[in-house]
Amino acid sequence: MNATVLSLDQAQRRFITGPVAVNIASRSARGVPSIARAYGCHVSADGDRITLYLPAARASALLADVRGGAPVAAVFTRPATHETLQLKGRRADIVPVDAVGRERMRAYARLFREELVAFGLEPRFLDGMLAPVELEAVALGFNPVAAFDQTPGPDAGRPLSGRA
Amino acid sequence: MNPGLRDIRACFEGAIPSAIATVAADGTPNVAYLSQVHYVDETHVALTFQFFNSTRRNILENPRALVQVVDPMTAAHYRLQLEYLRTETEGPLFEKMKAKLAGIASHTGMSKVFRLRGSDVYRVLEIAAVGGARAVPEPSRQHLLSGLRACLSGLIGCPDLARLFDMTLLGLQRHCEIAQAMLLMHDCERGCLYTVASRGYAESGIGSEIRIGEGIIGVAARERTPIRIGYAAREYLYSRAMRESFQKCGDGAVLETEIPFPGLVDSGSQLAVPLVYLDQLRGVLFVESPQEMRFSYEDEDALTVLAAQLTLTMELLAQVADQPEDGARAVKAMPRLQGRPLTLKHFAVDHSVFIDNDYLIKGVAGAILCKLVRDHLDSGRSEFTNRELRLDPALGLPDFSENLEARLILLQRRLAERCDSLRLEKTGRGRFRLRAERPLKLEEVPRR
Repeated sequence: MNATVLSLDQAQRRFITGPVAVNIASRSARGVPSIARAYGCHVSADGDRITLYLPAARASALLADVRGGAPVAAVFTRPATHETLQLKGRRADIVPVDAVGRERMRAYARLFREELVAFGLEPRFLDGMLAPVELEAVALGFNPVAAFDQTPGPDAGRPLSGRA
Repeated sequence: MNPGLRDIRACFEGAIPSAIATVAADGTPNVAYLSQVHYVDETHVALTFQFFNSTRRNILENPRALVQVVDPMTAAHYRLQLEYLRTETEGPLFEKMKAKLAGIASHTGMSKVFRLRGSDVYRVLEIAAVGGARAVPEPSRQHLLSGLRACLSGLIGCPDLARLFDMTLLGLQRHCEIAQAMLLMHDCERGCLYTVASRGYAESGIGSEIRIGEGIIGVAARERTPIRIGYAAREYLYSRAMRESFQKCGDGAVLETEIPFPGLVDSGSQLAVPLVYLDQLRGVLFVESPQEMRFSYEDEDALTVLAAQLTLTMELLAQVADQPEDGARAVKAMPRLQGRPLTLKHFAVDHSVFIDNDYLIKGVAGAILCKLVRDHLDSGRSEFTNRELRLDPALGLPDFSENLEARLILLQRRLAERCDSLRLEKTGRGRFRLRAERPLKLEEVPRR
């Protein structure tokens, strides 16, 4: 894996902080994968630090793997377009979510709900899907070292570069 | 307690994308979205292999994978720890997944990029409910079971195949809220299926044909496996306009295209269940709905049970169909018929029959009608038995009996739909009557 930290361009930043489904994966020391859904994403002003918000109780295996120093991979997909981006990080830091982070989670829930409503998903589903934004959460931060276009199709997996 | 795989089958319907995490040999994790997680049995799932991507590379290096699925009703999340076992590139599982993928691809406007290379089969090592979610069976499941029971009750006591077919389709409508359904029988000589009964369509389509391997009905027949899709794919729809006018069957015979197939133009969901008896294909039960995602795994289970019972009952009825009931019946002589003759034109080349220049039927059913009319004109008889038809070498009927009975139903129904003055009436087990209201005239066009 290339160790150079990427800096995401404006379009990539807009995309991953938009109405996208977010999942993050890691692995144990024995190579067993772990996964969790994230509820909201923040990108630093420089575009080289990604923060994802995760309800701790729904991500215990993943958080344990990350605390053990394992690398991460996060995938962002927009339901309306299938546009998909995967970012990789060599390691990640975990801190408790603060008031700003909680507000970002709620803003994400509103944005993502709007996107899903357009698909005709039932309120029962939407409530279930977005309820975890109120759970005790952590902020998981990492520097992206690789980005891949994963929009379904033959080009899926194409490496992307960040801002020059 | 952890849920079983069957408890969370609703998550595998493709409504909400699933995510898969894998790990490369160097320890780099990868996470991606999946088109389809397919329930194979209580301990196995299969995933689509469409592209040579990181997920693919990783599972070949490290067979451990983790899939996160979402319940489309409650949004409950479940994580499945998996171990990759093998890839299948043909056969029932592959064909089921291919048909389903085609539906998903067509639904999402990505037909060109979605091609199934293989079905990756995984062992399920563990299932965990995220955040302690409980799998709640949908209440409809119980209704389905009582609906199935009522359907099966309707099959009991059916005296013949015609009634059995009608009761099956009526039962689906009354007890399972399935309004569009049809039954097709297998013509093993010609490698096709012909519609023998239908319900819920503007035109019955009785007599229309489908090649084995064509569309979801043909693929379900070829693979002897149920195929169910929640988003009907364009390439699996049976549009008359799309069909060539002279499609060849397996043996080069021409497929019936004069009679349009009765399928819904705007079909949303489809389910085809093969009727199989001792490894032999007998036909297909097909249901559809304009509503997308109409049929669940439980519907597939229920219709598979119904199809099995239907097939067995067909066999039982076939065993007695060729044995005419005892006792010669007093037959009233047909009154001398008046009026303009009804002209039947029979083409020996494909046994097509036209009545007063209107197309009626071809193939075995056409040959049977020609024989009946010829005998009627030669000797004045109008009463016949299944047995004599079977013994007539000119008809070349296949061995198993319900095929003849099904041909007679087909002929009887085509006549009822297309001709007011000629009917075929059942007069008892293994017996029937040709009833004409006008004098008959037969023109035979020999094979050149």
